[in-house]
Amino acid sequence: METEQKLAEKEIKIRAKDRIIAWPRMGRIDIPLKALVQSLGAKVVIPPANSNEALELGVRNSIEGICLPYKLNLANYMMALDKGANTLMMFQAPGSCRLGNYTKMAQKTLKQMGYKFDMVIFDMYKSKMVQTLQAFWHVTHCLNPYCYYKGFSLGFNKLFAIDTAERLLFYTRPRELNKGDAEKCYHKWLRIADETNSVRKAKRLKKQVIEDFKKIPIDKDKKVPKVYLIGEFFVLLDPYTNQNIEKELGEMGVEVQRQIMFSDWLEHVLKPSIFYKKESHRERCVKYAKKYMKRAIGGECIETIGDTVYAAKHGIDGIIHISPFSCMPEIVAQNILPKVSKNENIPVLSLVLDEQTGKAGYITRIEAFIDLIKRRQQKYAI
Amino acid sequence: MKDTLRYKKIGIPRAISYYNNYPFYYGFFKSLGLEIILSDKTTTAIINSGTKYVVSDTCLPVKVYAGHVVNLLEKGCETIFIPSIQSTDYKINNCSKIRGLPEIIRNIINKPFTIIEPTLDKTEGLGFYDFWTETANALGIKDQKTIKNAVDAGWKIYDDFMTMTNSGVSYNEALQNAIEGKLLKKTVDIVKPLSVVIMAHGYNLFDERISLNLIKKLEKMGVKVYTSLNISREQSQEALKKLGEIQYWANELELTGCAAHYLLNKKVDGIIALSAFGCGPDSLMVDEISHHCKEKGMPLIHLTIDEHTGEAGFITRIEAFVDMLMRKKRNTLIQNAKPKAKADIINIKKEKILTGSAK
Repeated sequence: METEQKLAEKEIKIRAKDRIIAWPRMGRIDIPLKALVQSLGAKVVIPPANSNEALELGVRNSIEGICLPYKLNLANYMMALDKGANTLMMFQAPGSCRLGNYTKMAQKTLKQMGYKFDMVIFDMYKSKMVQTLQAFWHVTHCLNPYCYYKGFSLGFNKLFAIDTAERLLFYTRPRELNKGDAEKCYHKWLRIADETNSVRKAKRLKKQVIEDFKKIPIDKDKKVPKVYLIGEFFVLLDPYTNQNIEKELGEMGVEVQRQIMFSDWLEHVLKPSIFYKKESHRERCVKYAKKYMKRAIGGECIETIGDTVYAAKHGIDGIIHISPFSCMPEIVAQNILPKVSKNENIPVLSLVLDEQTGKAGYITRIEAFIDLIKRRQQKYAI
Repeated sequence: MKDTLRYKKIGIPRAISYYNNYPFYYGFFKSLGLEIILSDKTTTAIINSGTKYVVSDTCLPVKVYAGHVVNLLEKGCETIFIPSIQSTDYKINNCSKIRGLPEIIRNIINKPFTIIEPTLDKTEGLGFYDFWTETANALGIKDQKTIKNAVDAGWKIYDDFMTMTNSGVSYNEALQNAIEGKLLKKTVDIVKPLSVVIMAHGYNLFDERISLNLIKKLEKMGVKVYTSLNISREQSQEALKKLGEIQYWANELELTGCAAHYLLNKKVDGIIALSAFGCGPDSLMVDEISHHCKEKGMPLIHLTIDEHTGEAGFITRIEAFVDMLMRKKRNTLIQNAKPKAKADIINIKKEKILTGSAK
């Protein structure tokens, strides 16, 4: 009896309606998740955007050898808890890399620091949709199926709209006539997507975004070098960590293309395989990477290699590969990339990011790389 | 059956999986009738030759592995066994670099050679037997009975090896005897004033160049050393469970499990964690154990090694740690001694100080 009581005491019980939910930042996932959780009737807290302050907080409280994304995640949790959150949500994908250990470690660290919270974790490995629904049921106790429909529909449509806006932003930025137009348009649509509250309106978002971007005056005949941005998922999506590389490249007059988009990935992961007919990004990567890699080894290694081969075969001028320091799958990718670059005849620049990356040196390397690509283009033009 | 063999010789690099699984490999390939060629023991030259091929962020063991493969190629061995051990149990995966060893080696070394690259992936349903069937098929053997016999032969030598190491025979001795088919039993257990457990991957600890002969150095200082080979798999699994941890990495039993076993039964005075710089899994596992050590008051030192590790600094750190353990043990002995004896000791100390100052 005693032990049972103790156990009950140990577990922090939070009633569903008292829950205030938070999750770590990753790209723009905050907008769709907020829509989902709010339509299920729970409160949310969104941690402030990643910044030097957040990173410092994360670095101070985590071990030395862990990778950069964890440090930022931990800081997000802490900031959200300080703002009043009591439930943390996080997905995990075991069998990938250290990502599977994040939640375990974060829980331990936060408890040691004296925070009181409940962490809800859902696996992204087989039967994902069921687990995801279970997790959301656990935090909201919402039984109304319409709410789930509304939440997921809102979330997905917003996500698609945001990703479309991002893709168009990449296309428009190097070509725009008035500097800053595309950026403004993108931020406007982020705000509108966040404010949209009905499924009908959310479904129209994507079309509206495309139309609005068409209105921006651009120089259509401008010759723009195209660069693929590949590498580790988190670093690619988080503008703070990658030092806003997309913007820097866009302003240099380079069109960036990113194959890893949140909506694609989430759709592939969550949709039951019967409804998912088209070839997913991962399948395509496995197909293209076959010459160099025979098996997936976790993380985004095979995507990195597959995308590089794909890019070389589809007229892309260069590859920029970014990864956090000591990322295990990306180190394997880095080892393989030189051979791919040589065999497929495509220039590759590998950049490793950590909390001490200096922006000036980083930009110099990118500039040199872009110069190389431009000169190469001239050479082939002759 | 020998005539169906596609290759006569097989090269095994003396790195990564060699240190834990070589007895098995030996039994298996010998039973199939292959000649095994081992690369030379790790030297600075081998590390340097490996470093030339890989990017700088790669960890030391993989650099060493590349060096050994190059060494085998220089020896004229054209068929090299490079397994990809993805997961050893459902959802218990290995480090990406070990999973991708054949991928790395295939893409960095631009020489024509054959890689025998079977996959062990229990998460995806590729079990232990499939692993060896794939190996044998790649060698040109399809007969199920031959494969089964070879696996059995592998197990026999491996079991002998484990029995010997569990009873306390040193790694090199056990390996030598297991290969010769002898079973050695250690009868006399030498009692030493101090004992420590080293939590490290086999490929870091038993490679005399990488670990800078850590075991021998400690033994010279009068310290008894326990390693993961001294306990069985089940024991470390049990210890891990008792500590309240869940196994996540394939080689977690070797590190956390082993340290947990000795931490819980209080057989040792301290824990030494030895890991390569930039090792992903180790950074987490050492943190986990150090957390428990803090709770239980067990001293722990974390030694990081890379190809530039200076031996002098390394020795200094070990010596300081051993000195500290010695002082701690002496203090606890004094505190646990009878009150009268304790008083005597204090008196003696005082006298000494007085006489010292008088002089």
